[in-house]
Amino acid sequence: MAESAEELERRIDGLRTAVRQALMAGDRTRAAALRRDLRQAEREWDDVVAGLAEAVAPVPAPRAEAALLPVREQVHHALTLLSVPAAPRLIIEVHRAFFAGEIPGARLTSLRRDEERSFRLAPFARPYYLCAVLSADLLSPARGLLAVSTWPVQQRMIGPLSPRVDFLTSAIRVAEHVERLPEVGPRATRLLWRFATNLPGLAAELDDVAPAAVVAAARAELEIHEEADRATRAAAADRAVHQLDDAGRLFGGPRLRVLPRPAEGLL
Amino acid sequence: MTDLDARLARLRGSAPPRRHTARTIAALTTNPGCARRAVLDAAGVDKERLAAHVGFPARFGQSRFAITRGNAFESQVKANGCAELLSLLREKLGLPVDEVGYHDLESVGGNESNEVRHARARTLITRAARAADDPGTLFDHPLLRLDVGGRAVYLEPDLIAFRLRGRFHVVEIKSFPVIDGQADPTKVAAAAIQSAVYVLAMRAMLAEQGLDPETVSHEIVLVCPRDFANQPVATLVDVRKQLLVLRRQLARLTRIEELLDALPADLTLDLRPDADGVPTATADELGASLGRVDARYAPECLSACEIAYFCRHEARGDTAALGRTVREELGGVESVDTALGLAREELRPSVEQEEAAALLRAAARLRAEHLGARA
Repeated sequence: MAESAEELERRIDGLRTAVRQALMAGDRTRAAALRRDLRQAEREWDDVVAGLAEAVAPVPAPRAEAALLPVREQVHHALTLLSVPAAPRLIIEVHRAFFAGEIPGARLTSLRRDEERSFRLAPFARPYYLCAVLSADLLSPARGLLAVSTWPVQQRMIGPLSPRVDFLTSAIRVAEHVERLPEVGPRATRLLWRFATNLPGLAAELDDVAPAAVVAAARAELEIHEEADRATRAAAADRAVHQLDDAGRLFGGPRLRVLPRPAEGLL
Repeated sequence: MTDLDARLARLRGSAPPRRHTARTIAALTTNPGCARRAVLDAAGVDKERLAAHVGFPARFGQSRFAITRGNAFESQVKANGCAELLSLLREKLGLPVDEVGYHDLESVGGNESNEVRHARARTLITRAARAADDPGTLFDHPLLRLDVGGRAVYLEPDLIAFRLRGRFHVVEIKSFPVIDGQADPTKVAAAAIQSAVYVLAMRAMLAEQGLDPETVSHEIVLVCPRDFANQPVATLVDVRKQLLVLRRQLARLTRIEELLDALPADLTLDLRPDADGVPTATADELGASLGRVDARYAPECLSACEIAYFCRHEARGDTAALGRTVREELGGVESVDTALGLAREELRPSVEQEEAAALLRAAARLRAEHLGARA
């Protein structure tokens, strides 16, 4: 390293003055030559400063663990815990309650699009993709839901009953997870409470929510919807397998367009 | 229809049309005699920009924060398969536990055009109305259509329709709080009239399909935050009165074609924005064009219409600008000058003005006595 940052700064200042003087004197060739020197000096300065940063860097700042994992990994963790498709908000809450680090909410908005692009460039190059949930009737991507590509196809379908079924299933999974924890944090308690308030027959015991009670209440309601929902999903999955290609099965079929006369029964 | 569309498009100019909402229809019914508002709304003119450009910016409108807050509350209530809404409905209306079917009608397979969304909403809702065992219970954001002044208007709805024991209810989610069981009465009234617009549109849709329009209940469910928390609370509101008012007012709205026929064919309210979106039409020009369309200003307009300040300025000196009671009392007396002239007995009242003139003279005498006694 020939010069220090301070020396370079002085040289850059001198060169700038020289460029200005040359231009004012009308000497364009000299100005051009000086400009080249100036750019060279600036590049050198950049390198020196980068070197300085490295020299100072060895003490890593005590940062949140969030940065250790890519967002898609974090989302994958939360979704795997829930085992059903979920909206970004729930994903963030679940991650916050049970895992270290924070999922930046803004990153989730473009996640599905990024995953789709990556899949279309190199299909199945990654072990899993975060993909869309398909509506059971039109096989088009449902708004604002994320799923994991390794799940069975019917789990990634959504019929009229599925939002409730998925909610109940998430309640069960969250409660079971809370039960397994040696120590339950305030965020996990709050998440469980949020599920419990919207389950039938649990309203009376809100102060201290027992995970087992949540599981029982959710199971009881789940039994009512499960069968009909499973039939809808299975039928839709069957159609998706036959009608869509790999990318379509994960990220939805072609967009619906207006035709002069919509086919009977579709609309 | 195409001819009408072309005329309205010419009136609007180059800007994209603004959509009618339940809010604008509710506002329209507060002053159904106003041709200006009817024509501008039918043409989808951006009244707010227009008013600002002619020098009378509206001093009201929905605050950005209120909109954000409203959206956040709505998404909270509807999160996770409408979990919170379902518990409210189960608690309040005894919705059976097995009724949880949910249809998202905000877009149809990624297509968000009005026609497709309306067609889909119509299909799903009529299917649910016909078959008792249909899994549809909640219908999120069905796009409805209503005939306003002879023109079909799509309503961007902010509601969920839900079916209970064979009847549909409209659910309106609002973010104003219900504190200790009480909410701001004007806000409740506004929500009720907006919901009534939706009820009417849903009834029209079912009637069109040959179903009983009374399937749509006159009782709507109003969901608001309780007290100072974010906990939602549901209240049943009877909108029969609002429905009556709305139906009468909509029927009274003069048909748009008749209103347009009274206007010059080349009339336009185009702001003529240049490449940067800066309007190039002069304020005087636009003001003169606006003046060609008859308005009926009343003080209530100030809280419901974006161009009200322009109309108020224009109506200065008219007795109507002093409010409905004054206008009714002074039937036949158009301007304030005439009223003063009659009161001072400088003008001779015509036959139809006699009653009003007697009132005015009495008022002037009382005033003179009162002020004279004090002096």
